[in-house]
Amino acid sequence: MPDQIVTFILQVLNGLKIGSVYALVALGYTMVYGIIKLINFAHGDFIMVGSYALLYTMPIMVSLGMPAWIAVVMAIAICVLVGITVEKVAYKPVRKKGTNMSALITAIAMSLFLENLAQTIFGAAPKPVGTIFTFPDMIIGKVKVNGNTILTIIIGVSVMIALQFFVRKTRLGKSMRAVSEDGQAAILMGINKNRTITMTFAIGSGLAAVASLMYCASYPQATPTIGAMLGLKAFVAAVLGGIGSIPGAMLGGIVIGLVESLSKAYIGDLTGGVITSAFSDAIVFGILIVVLLVKPSGILGKNIGEKV
Amino acid sequence: MKKRIFAVLLTAALVATLFSGCGSSNNGAANTDGAAATTAAETIKIGTISPNTGSLAAYGEAVVNGINLAVKEINAAGGVLGKQIVLETLDDKGDPVEGANAFNKLADEADVCAILGSVTSGVTSGLASLANESKVVLLTPTATADTVTDADDYVFRACFKDSYQGRMAAKFAAEVLGVKKVAVLYASGDPYSAGLREAFIAAAAEFGLDVVAEESSSSTEDTDYSAQLTNIAGSDAEFLFAPYYYSSIGPYIVPQARAAGFAGVIMGADGFDGTIATMVDDKSLYNNCYFTNHYSPDDTSATVQNFVSAYTTEFGAESLNALAALAYDAVYMLKDSIEKANSTDRTAIRDAMSGMSFSGVTGSFTLDETGTPEKSVAIIEFKDGAAIWNSTLGN
Repeated sequence: MPDQIVTFILQVLNGLKIGSVYALVALGYTMVYGIIKLINFAHGDFIMVGSYALLYTMPIMVSLGMPAWIAVVMAIAICVLVGITVEKVAYKPVRKKGTNMSALITAIAMSLFLENLAQTIFGAAPKPVGTIFTFPDMIIGKVKVNGNTILTIIIGVSVMIALQFFVRKTRLGKSMRAVSEDGQAAILMGINKNRTITMTFAIGSGLAAVASLMYCASYPQATPTIGAMLGLKAFVAAVLGGIGSIPGAMLGGIVIGLVESLSKAYIGDLTGGVITSAFSDAIVFGILIVVLLVKPSGILGKNIGEKV
Repeated sequence: MKKRIFAVLLTAALVATLFSGCGSSNNGAANTDGAAATTAAETIKIGTISPNTGSLAAYGEAVVNGINLAVKEINAAGGVLGKQIVLETLDDKGDPVEGANAFNKLADEADVCAILGSVTSGVTSGLASLANESKVVLLTPTATADTVTDADDYVFRACFKDSYQGRMAAKFAAEVLGVKKVAVLYASGDPYSAGLREAFIAAAAEFGLDVVAEESSSSTEDTDYSAQLTNIAGSDAEFLFAPYYYSSIGPYIVPQARAAGFAGVIMGADGFDGTIATMVDDKSLYNNCYFTNHYSPDDTSATVQNFVSAYTTEFGAESLNALAALAYDAVYMLKDSIEKANSTDRTAIRDAMSGMSFSGVTGSFTLDETGTPEKSVAIIEFKDGAAIWNSTLGN
């Protein structure tokens, strides 16, 4: 294989590595949005909570003789607890009184609150997260495929299928869709709306913990602000894939990862150095603007007309 | 109705805070009431600005500790001009806007005779023009960007500048390591990183180094550099100059470079100081990494050893780094200037500091016309997770 093709394949793999993490995060966004039409901007910060939970529970697991990744169970429990608390304390009262807009603003406030709370509790200094698992790299010729990347994609796809099954087939999933379609009618049908929404948050937050496991495996450092940029990019991924669509989030995440990596790698050569790899974030957020202008429902989103 | 009044009051308070940040030094007199004036006569007040919270909080901690240690020593020895030093320590969170607000607050207090800070070049660059406007000495212990003191009257520093660090890195690569082909990875949106890259590239030509690959990221806070590093690993560079901070070098850049297959030397500047705390578990990845620094705690001179033992007793060894040493020296530079001026007048201190000679923990030097010391750099090497003094390099 010529060197350029090898490099191209490596760059695609780099894109898949970050894209698979975006996809896992985007699944959480899309899940909550699909049910209660709330863009939970604090979702990125649930990942931060998950990272700190991993950071502190991993040594305990290792000292008990268990593999480090078991810590994710504790991380899921903590994230679910934080997610439900945020929902009960902040979102529920606002939802009762306000509009979608006030709920959105509350979500941004919760994001800032969690970041600053983490800074107070854990300090601002970055903390290294130990090795979570050493998954062997696959070597094909000159190409080395990172084991974590493969695992992240496998987990992402499994979570996607499981979620899809859960929402389509189970009783709770059906009640979630009912609440999503018409909250009032769902109540009349005997569905406990608040309990359904709480469950949605619990699942979304649990997904954040899984995403934080895969994120920390590839980027082993916890800081109070890791969720901010990660959350924004995953949000772009969810919008690109069609927010509310579960396969869309997976697809959007991978596409954003590839765009980011390939633009970092080749944009400098393609534009003769006018636009450099430093512009990759601008390109990612540029996609958000283009999607909103051209196809606001996203790649896999359903085009539902606004009810009047 | 009650709610509305509250909202109006809250808005008024917010607007007031916005404007108070923009106030200039001439309303400082109004802030000084009788009580403050009497304390000012018995003490000397010095303002400090550093990133005490935020992603660079470890820098702020070291600098504040260094300053506190020096002030404690000076006060115990009778103070400056017979007066005790008191500090007003403000936080800039590593953010230029917060830094400017902190500066304006300090400059507005008439009894603050000089300001130490800030720590990063990004924040300090923004403070330089404010210092000249309000005619108060801004002595930064650690901001190394060249532009920080260019053509300024009131800005000084205790550290060498980036063009010098970048030049020394190129010199080390060419003369000590003997490499020929080099690559550069830098953050184009960060003055520190971009300044070092510029100086390194300029010196590379002078020392006969061939820059075969150049890549950039938008900020020093990025987490994924794999794409750029894959390109660098694909070039035939033997040496990578990556002027970033410890918060991205430890967890991201070095492991990702090694994963991308780059086995050559990775070198940076004083921003690498602190990397040990952010390293991943496999410490062997960091072998073959070097950085230029202001001093080495392994230096056997009495000044350095006294500082190291005093600091360790007071704050422990964990936060001890070159920034703490520079901050410690900066306080003594200020003390010398105040004594030479025999006054706490802001302009008199400036005049005394211009062109001063000084000898401290981070070396002996004379300030040049921009207020920057010219001194030798220590080359530090990572070996199995420890930072070891490699050599000292001068012009």
